[in-house]
Amino acid sequence: MLALQILIDGFAISTLYALGALGFTLIFGVSGVLNLAHGGLLVVSAMAAWYVGTALGANAWVSAGVGIGAGLAVTLVTYGAVVRPVQRSRAIPGAERELFVLTATLLWGVMLQELLDYWFSDTPVAVKPLLSGTVNFLGVRTPINEFLTAAIAWAVMGLLWLLVNRTDIGKRLRATAINPRALTLLGFDLERIYLVAWLIYGLLAGIAGVLIGSFLGSGSSYIAGLTGSAFTIVVLGGLGSVSGTLIAAYVVGYIETLTAYLISPALREVPALLLLIAVMYVRPQGLLGKR
Amino acid sequence: MQAFKTRNILILAAILAILVILPFGAGSYVLGVLTTAFYFAVFAMSWDLLFGYAGEVNFGPTFLIGLGAYGAGIGNALLGMPLPIAVLFGTAAAVIGGVALAIPALKLSGPYLGLITLVAVLLLQQAIVIFAGVSGGEIGLSVPSVLSISSKINYAYALIFMIISGAILLTIARSSLGMILQAAGQDRVAAAALGFDVTRHKILAFAVSAFFSGLAGALLVFYLGTASVNAVVDLAIGIRVIIAAVMGGRRTIIGGAIGAIFLIVAAELLRPLGQLSSFVVALMALGVIMFFPDGLLGMIAARRRS
Amino acid sequence: MSKPNIKRGAGIALAAILAASVSTVAVQAAQKPIVIGVTAEMATIPGKAIANGATLAVQQINAAGGINGRPIKLIIEDNHVSTTDAIRSFQRMTRQDHAVAILGAFTSEVALALEPWSARLHEPFLITGAASNKLAEYVHADYAQRKYIFHAYLPAAYLAQAVCDSTKDLLVPMHMTTAVVLSEDAAWTKPLDAGYDKCLPKVGVKVLDNIRFDPNTTDFTPIYQKIEAMHPAMIMAGWAHVGVQPTVQWAEQKVPVALVGINAQAGSSLFWKATNGATEGVLTGNTSAPGVAITPKTIPFTNAYSKEFGSEPAYSAYSTYDAMYALADAIKREKSTKPNAIVAGLEKTDMVGTQGRLEFQGKAAKFTHALRYGPGYITGVAIQWQNGVQKCVWPLKLANAKVVFPSFVTATK
Repeated sequence: MLALQILIDGFAISTLYALGALGFTLIFGVSGVLNLAHGGLLVVSAMAAWYVGTALGANAWVSAGVGIGAGLAVTLVTYGAVVRPVQRSRAIPGAERELFVLTATLLWGVMLQELLDYWFSDTPVAVKPLLSGTVNFLGVRTPINEFLTAAIAWAVMGLLWLLVNRTDIGKRLRATAINPRALTLLGFDLERIYLVAWLIYGLLAGIAGVLIGSFLGSGSSYIAGLTGSAFTIVVLGGLGSVSGTLIAAYVVGYIETLTAYLISPALREVPALLLLIAVMYVRPQGLLGKR
Repeated sequence: MQAFKTRNILILAAILAILVILPFGAGSYVLGVLTTAFYFAVFAMSWDLLFGYAGEVNFGPTFLIGLGAYGAGIGNALLGMPLPIAVLFGTAAAVIGGVALAIPALKLSGPYLGLITLVAVLLLQQAIVIFAGVSGGEIGLSVPSVLSISSKINYAYALIFMIISGAILLTIARSSLGMILQAAGQDRVAAAALGFDVTRHKILAFAVSAFFSGLAGALLVFYLGTASVNAVVDLAIGIRVIIAAVMGGRRTIIGGAIGAIFLIVAAELLRPLGQLSSFVVALMALGVIMFFPDGLLGMIAARRRS
Repeated sequence: MSKPNIKRGAGIALAAILAASVSTVAVQAAQKPIVIGVTAEMATIPGKAIANGATLAVQQINAAGGINGRPIKLIIEDNHVSTTDAIRSFQRMTRQDHAVAILGAFTSEVALALEPWSARLHEPFLITGAASNKLAEYVHADYAQRKYIFHAYLPAAYLAQAVCDSTKDLLVPMHMTTAVVLSEDAAWTKPLDAGYDKCLPKVGVKVLDNIRFDPNTTDFTPIYQKIEAMHPAMIMAGWAHVGVQPTVQWAEQKVPVALVGINAQAGSSLFWKATNGATEGVLTGNTSAPGVAITPKTIPFTNAYSKEFGSEPAYSAYSTYDAMYALADAIKREKSTKPNAIVAGLEKTDMVGTQGRLEFQGKAAKFTHALRYGPGYITGVAIQWQNGVQKCVWPLKLANAKVVFPSFVTATK
């Protein structure tokens, strides 16, 4: 009974972690950008969905749609107004561009947090669940929304896999990740490929933000934690590796759940952090990282 | 060049002189703001030594600051150490933490090291919450001793401390150690091939940075009369330190001090904006970083050149 | 980096310092009004309520002619739930704005960090939202130095007592006699838990377990599963920093155990929307309930508050509003704004506020300078969310509804 409970609960959490980290790893893989405003994108989507759904009283599906739209919009702003100018700046030496992207996105995350604080206060809110009620699953009382969330998350991840591995766009994205210069030489417009990657990232962030918001709640104070957990999972899995990210998400999700159930909820995050340090020492490139 | 140097020294001396006589004219409130800013300046300068010179992406300045602050706080409040001993105790804790961070830094770089340092902060934060009996937990730790309740004396301590730390850090950065660090930061293999003991120098850089971060953290505790997670450990504080150093101008040491003072003074001047003041400060910092990547120092240098 | 940079950097620092000095001079002009400071966590519901409560009281006092003819000038500063920001702002308001007293702080951590500064700077400080026992014990430990601090709200021990008193009247008669205490890990819940452990058995409730969780917890499923396995009749909450997630997950997962105790955010009328109605059936201790006349001042206050700010006041609005009146009375009575006079005046406080009758306890009491608790003074109320409205269910003589739990709460049957 307890084992089953851990299995279900861990699965739900891990799936959300995976979905939340996926966009983060994708954009790193394709364009080498570590977006430290990542949590901000998720929270903006969730807050928009909450505002439309609860404060304005719209239908749960409509508000989820608005939330995803908001996530997409803020992601594109992140790219257009923060990341791209830094990448294209001539004043920044190439070797240090990575650090400037980190610092700039960090600041952008702070700005998003301050704005959300200002408009909505820092009190967390819960996004309307798409479906309410519970079902009895093998003797464990589970909210229906948990199943729906997992199903949507897996469908989205499946679509992403198809897109990356079975389409021309995906081919180009993968090629960009490996050797952007070669692609330019072949006459492809790198800018457009990056834009496509950021569009996909925006949709992923929007969907993840809304789903996480309906399961765990959301609020400006969540931003740092969401960025941190995506960062942890992605580095653990191997930066830029999509399958590594999935595995790492389930490892972290289950370790946390086991700790919370079997040891103490207060220690929930500690073992995963220790594991991360251990992995870094033994295998700095992460579980499935290349280098 | 020589004339240039002399003039710079004169101007630096003039500014320091103004800072020194300020207590006789300015209100105690202005002094209070600057006191905090001076400690922050040391945080930023210590960070710049690691990042600007050694190229180490350290997201965890507050790991070192926090160790210094909590070491000192616990020494004073729980172990009954007198203030100076407690400060040394905290500083020692920070140096040990700094060396511990140096070990992964020998193997890892870039975002990986960044993550390790980030995790170090998170673990310290968790430890403080879990061992609340000793650390005061979320509540923070109130220390019985304070440096002084006179704002003038506190200001003097902080100013002297900042000047001495800045001078030492600048000397180190411009010495052969700084050069070797810079060389190793750019190309480790080449630096080692030239016969430099990169490992020893890196550990030394971490230890020095940790020494000043920890010392400043410890002194800040006895200025504020309290050590708390959101004052000395929280990631937000670390972010502010990094932003100050990058904004002031990285690889300059003094830029860190200027950035820190700028950020804190700007936040004070924007106080009428209320809740939005932090937003505006972040916006300004973002603007500087995007358009003047060499920071405030570089910005003025560029204007001079044109 | 080339040398000239040093000079220019220093030039900027100088300009910044000069700018700071100029702005100080500019603010020091007007001296006529009595300046009172407020430090609040503006991005939180209780923090905002502190600012609103103070603003409303000052508007009314000024409209009625001020204090002995002098208007109050209110300065509200955001402490961003940071002890450093709070201390800086406290020093600034004391030294630069010459605030005669400072009110506010709902986070115990922040209030505790400010207390030594109130003592050092001899600045009267009325804590109006935080609840740690230590706040008033600190005053008791060294009265002569620390008499400037007043805890113008209730220590957690009293909050626990209020919950026990209401449990005895409401839930024990419904045969709900087992509880699991579930508190966020924060300064104020330690004495609260200790209080629960002590007083619940006295009213006939057995405490099965005591669970403390990190306020950053997002997934409460493991905790609720663990609690459910113990089959208690109720979850005795100690929540203020958290509220939305555990409440929403309690409802979503249909945890069959009643949710009672202190769920501070559920005391705010904004909680219904924040939780999408998941708060239905939640019972919580609170200062007041909509439409319930604890004193003749309560309803006029809540009406004026909702008219001005568009929502019902959270608990800290009541305490801050009352504290502002107590402070104004003290200054009026002593005809002085000197710290010692204000302290003497506040110690003579005996007024009917919105929360009940206010009196600060003396030097000999364990909780020196905390408000007096009990029948005839302040007792608080228990409210329950019913069909989207906060209903008063306790004290019984003020109640406008009976306790009804949601259908999924089966542990009570």
